[in-house]
Amino acid sequence: MSKFTWAAVLILAALAVIAVAAPWIAPYDPMAVSLPEALLPPSPLHWLGTDQLGRDVLSRLMWGSRISLTIGLTAVGVAVLVGVAVGLVAGFAGGWSDAVLMRLVDTLLSIPTIFLLLAVIAMDPAERITALTTVPVLGPLVRGLISWADVRIVMLMVIIGLMSWMGVARLVRAEVLSLKEREFVLAARVAGASPWRVMTKHLLPNAMAPVLVSATLGVGGAILTESVLSYLGLGVQPPTPSWGNILNEGRVALGVAWWLTLSPGLCIVATVLAFNLVGEGLRTMHRRGQAAGGDAL
Amino acid sequence: MGKYVVRRVVAMIPVLLWISVISFGIMHLAPGKPTDAATQFNPRVSLEARERLAHLYGLDQPLHRQYASWLGRIARLDFGRSFLDDRPVMDKIAERLPITLLINVLTLAVVLGIGIPLGVLAAVRPQGWFDRTTTVLVFLGYSIPSFWLALLGMAWFGVALHWLPVSGLHSLDAEWWSWWPRLTDTAWHLILPVGVSAVVSVAGLSRYARSSMIEVLQQDYIRTARAKGLPERRVLFHHGLRNGLLPILTILGLSLPDLIGGSVIAETIFSIPGMGRLFYEAVMARDYPVIMALVTIGAILTLLGNLLADLAYAWADPRIRVGKAS
Repeated sequence: MSKFTWAAVLILAALAVIAVAAPWIAPYDPMAVSLPEALLPPSPLHWLGTDQLGRDVLSRLMWGSRISLTIGLTAVGVAVLVGVAVGLVAGFAGGWSDAVLMRLVDTLLSIPTIFLLLAVIAMDPAERITALTTVPVLGPLVRGLISWADVRIVMLMVIIGLMSWMGVARLVRAEVLSLKEREFVLAARVAGASPWRVMTKHLLPNAMAPVLVSATLGVGGAILTESVLSYLGLGVQPPTPSWGNILNEGRVALGVAWWLTLSPGLCIVATVLAFNLVGEGLRTMHRRGQAAGGDAL
Repeated sequence: MGKYVVRRVVAMIPVLLWISVISFGIMHLAPGKPTDAATQFNPRVSLEARERLAHLYGLDQPLHRQYASWLGRIARLDFGRSFLDDRPVMDKIAERLPITLLINVLTLAVVLGIGIPLGVLAAVRPQGWFDRTTTVLVFLGYSIPSFWLALLGMAWFGVALHWLPVSGLHSLDAEWWSWWPRLTDTAWHLILPVGVSAVVSVAGLSRYARSSMIEVLQQDYIRTARAKGLPERRVLFHHGLRNGLLPILTILGLSLPDLIGGSVIAETIFSIPGMGRLFYEAVMARDYPVIMALVTIGAILTLLGNLLADLAYAWADPRIRVGKAS
């Protein structure tokens, strides 16, 4: 691995520690309003200054990292789940189901993502998300999430995930198409393995390496998406801090309080960059593994 | 070529159908009725008047009927009237489309003008200092939220340095100026939005240009060109770039949704009255007809862009149309 990749892994590790330990290491309560201390520039007391309501920006960023990371990771989880399912079915079944599913993928890719996202969010589908708990595979996941986070945040995770599975689906389909003619798969089918068994036991494990690469790259994208939505006021709602909505609050004070805009932006850039670098590192490793003839990674 | 065009256009039909189903599906995710906005907070609206309004908009029909009539209308590009000001949706879009197209075309020009030379120069010596530097910049470009870049640009060039205007398309009294100062005034206002929208796409395009050029430069005909003693410049630009640019056409088609979508962020931040801001305003006001029209038109524009890119590809590279016809 290159030194860039190592640096990125370190950044992600540090970020994970901060996110987990935020309640103990954040110097202030992220929601504590203190009007006399409003819009203070960075100082030894408040390392990254304070916002319009006198809240400590560093503490808000630390708590915000929890939101941004969970949304990024969960959204990608949803995307991988849906993408793998669609890709497996389309690639393995072929014929009509393949045609219909792949035209759906083409269509979703042809609608500007932000249009789709905003249109769905504008419809305020929070209650529809609760209805998702009855869907077979997604259901338990959504139920678990709702018991743990605010329903609107769960909605963001699910929607961002449901808007970004298309790449994974294409990838898995392509892998399946080439894998299903290989000897070990044919042997399994001849031996009488059910389609379900062939898909889950033989095709899926061998198609997972490129999916892992694209998922890692996807986390960065999902974090960017969350920040855009929150910045537009349609994502995580205040007072819960997220990097995007801290930026949104900073926008009003852009001329007088640069620290409100600079620090959350740098957090986003560092995190997304780290995920992209790790994803790229994994991709290189995977390629080398393939070139060496094995299925390394 | 004619057959190829027809086949490509026919292939668009299922995608168009999916677009209409998705748009219609999204529209019906919404809780409550769109007529609520006009009636909910008005105590003097009677139940009967509410029903009359719902009937007027066709909201009392069964779902498949509503879809059929909606599809019939959008096939004639009739997207109904805005719930907000009762103007025909097409009129509202028509007055904003030129602005967004102008910004997107300018952005595309900047992206091509910067992205391709960057990629070609990086490809000449892979792993050289220039290639390494651009690789780092490309990764940064991918990771920077464009709205943050826009905010930083406004803070530095607008608020702190007073070099560039930070919002709108014209200065306040520009209406009374003659055409030349008005033109430069608009250009002045466009620098930040266009520059900011271009960054992410430049990163992507330069990457593709680089890998495409690296591949082309390994071909036999490049070795032949060098072997017969052509100057390196001619090898690169005449033999290399011409072939290396072909795949870029496809990438351009694929990057269209980003361009159209990117206008939402740029136009909202810089208060530019284009399609993107119209969309944002419609989302905030739950103006369903406008939202649905813009989703549909955005998707159709993207499809047309892809089609044009593919046709250009087929025109430039005869192998494509021959290969697919057989």
